[in-house]
Amino acid sequence: MTTMDDRFTFVKVDETASEHISAPKYSYWQSVFRRFFSSKVAIVMLVIATIVILTSFIQPLFSGYDPMNMPYINQRDMWFIRPNATYWFGTDNVGNSLFDAVWFGTRNSLIVALSATAITNILGVIVGMIWGYSKKIDTVMLEIYNVIINIPFMLLVMVMMYVLGRGIPQLIFALSCTSWLGTAYFIRVQVMIIRDREYNLASQCLGTPLHRVLTHNILPYLISVIVTSIARDVPNFISYEVFLSFIGIGLTTESSSLGYLIQTYSPFMTSASYLFWIPVAFSALISVSLYIVGQTLADASDPRTHMV
Amino acid sequence: MKRYVLGRLIRSIISVCFVLSITIVMVYTMIPREKIFQTDTSLGKYKGDALVNYKYNIWKDLGYLDFVQPSGICAVSENYNSCVNGGADFKDLVADYETRGYTYVPYENGVTGFVTRDYPAYELIWNFFSNLIEVDNPWAVQDAENEELQRSYYITTGSNGMPAVACSGCKHKYQLYIDSNFPFIHQNVISLDFGLSYPTFNGLETMDVINDGQGQVVQIEQTFPSGVTQRSALNQYTCEYKQTSTLDHLDTQKFTDNYANCKNYMESPSMVGTSYLFGIIALIIAYVIALPAGVTMARHKDRWQDKLGIVYVNFMIAVPSLAFIYFAKWIGRLFQMPEKFPELGFGDVKSYILPLIILALLSTSSLIIWMRRYMIDQSNSDYVKFARAKGLSEKEIFNKHILKNAIIPIVNGIPQSVILCISGSVITESVFAIPGMGKMLPDSIKALNNRMVITLTFIFTALAVISLLVGDLLMTVVDPRIQLTAKKGGK
Repeated sequence: MTTMDDRFTFVKVDETASEHISAPKYSYWQSVFRRFFSSKVAIVMLVIATIVILTSFIQPLFSGYDPMNMPYINQRDMWFIRPNATYWFGTDNVGNSLFDAVWFGTRNSLIVALSATAITNILGVIVGMIWGYSKKIDTVMLEIYNVIINIPFMLLVMVMMYVLGRGIPQLIFALSCTSWLGTAYFIRVQVMIIRDREYNLASQCLGTPLHRVLTHNILPYLISVIVTSIARDVPNFISYEVFLSFIGIGLTTESSSLGYLIQTYSPFMTSASYLFWIPVAFSALISVSLYIVGQTLADASDPRTHMV
Repeated sequence: MKRYVLGRLIRSIISVCFVLSITIVMVYTMIPREKIFQTDTSLGKYKGDALVNYKYNIWKDLGYLDFVQPSGICAVSENYNSCVNGGADFKDLVADYETRGYTYVPYENGVTGFVTRDYPAYELIWNFFSNLIEVDNPWAVQDAENEELQRSYYITTGSNGMPAVACSGCKHKYQLYIDSNFPFIHQNVISLDFGLSYPTFNGLETMDVINDGQGQVVQIEQTFPSGVTQRSALNQYTCEYKQTSTLDHLDTQKFTDNYANCKNYMESPSMVGTSYLFGIIALIIAYVIALPAGVTMARHKDRWQDKLGIVYVNFMIAVPSLAFIYFAKWIGRLFQMPEKFPELGFGDVKSYILPLIILALLSTSSLIIWMRRYMIDQSNSDYVKFARAKGLSEKEIFNKHILKNAIIPIVNGIPQSVILCISGSVITESVFAIPGMGKMLPDSIKALNNRMVITLTFIFTALAVISLLVGDLLMTVVDPRIQLTAKKGGK
């Protein structure tokens, strides 16, 4: 017996050890970012999107570009200069630098798309959470939804623009005035799935007030759903803006956007193709980069993907 | 189930009326009414009072307001001549109008003036809906010079030898007839009246602009009721009653009755027809590409087929459709495809290829992604595990078991796609300048053609509503397990 005991020594009892939780440290946002930055494509796209967004908001401040101002309109030698060292994207049919015009247009397109997305999603999430939670509101809202959802979206936006007139605030309003209902309906379904789960019922039994249930029990579950919805909306709205301006009922000269540039320069598609293709390429570049960033973020924000 | 369909139908009608009412009120009250004259070239012909009269007459025709000229005010007066020149009667009658809510506006000549009254919102809506549906009946025609006009229905043979229901005393001669054009049986009993188009297609009814053939007239050999056989462009099935006083010798030579006001055969299909033609073919192409692609992606999940498909779908979703269309157009130019539809026109196959491919590809992305999702969702279910346990091959499982279940939600969308083909694709038609209905909406918005915008709003909304309903009903036919009336759980 004694020979066996020699090989063991007494250890002091650690009073604090029982206080530690054995699970590894988990932080939601840390996991989201770790997951997001594990994708190389997403990082590249994030860099592109950041550069484009920052430049489009900063560059117009310095260039002082104003689409209504055409100083070289009477100087023939300033027209249609091919892209070179001075004019990176060349000049257009009135001698304005396309480089300045594109950034100005990108800024306006982004303002429209981002504002419409923000309104759609904020309104959609708030209304959708209440909608999904209350049976009374549900019956009323379902009727409204059934009426509104029947209207083709494109038709609605076009009629709205027709009635309200052309301009950035009008376009944002037209794009977001019914699209939030779609988001709200989407959120409603998610809320209805979550609200009858056991943990939520338990929480309600313990007397958690409604606003806390919504913000603490349900909202965290919705984050990946909301990010998916945002990732889908931004390229969609850019696409709508480009199209509406292209057919001549979106934005006007003073608030020229990518769609407006594409429309103005489409006659030069063969004679000065860079004028047409650069804005087209920009619209594609922003949409694709923002879409991929959004999709990757949406995947990363789903807690189920965090398990290693 | 019947109750559900009826309820759905009523709701759909309410929804269309609601949308239309809002559109009418917004279009008529929020757009400055002076703006509609922007593109009217005949405005320059008028000056002074004539200009005022012209404008008010147009507004009256378009349903903005009621407008009564001195001649109209004095119509009830006993001494008309002194009244029209601003006599004592005139002032009394104007005062009478003013008590009824009209306002008096003096002319520049200072002698007389006119009265006018803007329609309030509810009256705008009422005027629109009360005139919307027109039912043809044997008492529709009023002709003082043709007292012996029979008023009855009768069965006859039409100009193409097929039986037809004709009517004497109705506006249209042929009430029901058969011909070789889709949908083969046609009617003239119920027609929708949306009013006149202005300023584009001036003088035509908006429905006719959309429905009638386009391009040049086509003459075909035909026999007229009088027995004359000649080459003529007249489509006898469209003949409407012509007042006896306006009949000329050319009409009496061909027709034995007063139904001589006919439309012409045209070489190109109507706007609806054009959009429908493009829509249906593109739809078939889209389904032929997307369904096998979705199935393949689901079968080879996480392998290269799937990854390639996902890249394609993401590309299609992310890239603005306009950029994609121009990109495709640029590729098409390498193959000598025409840039715009009218370059080669309806007669050449080449003008169809590029728009069709683009239209089809634009709708593939969502079809593929849903097909893949439904297939993958189904492939985890018990019946699939059971089939696998029985030793069926993967191919059999996918093509026979999973596909049947996964196709159900896709079926739901088919009527929607088919019916919405009529409304055409706004984007593609605009870029290729295809004379279809999709291009009509932006065109009429740019031309401030209010009536046309309202007409198209009605058509598009009605089609969307019907297609959603038909889609849901079709789904219950395909899968009897689905019940539309089921009560959902929840708080």
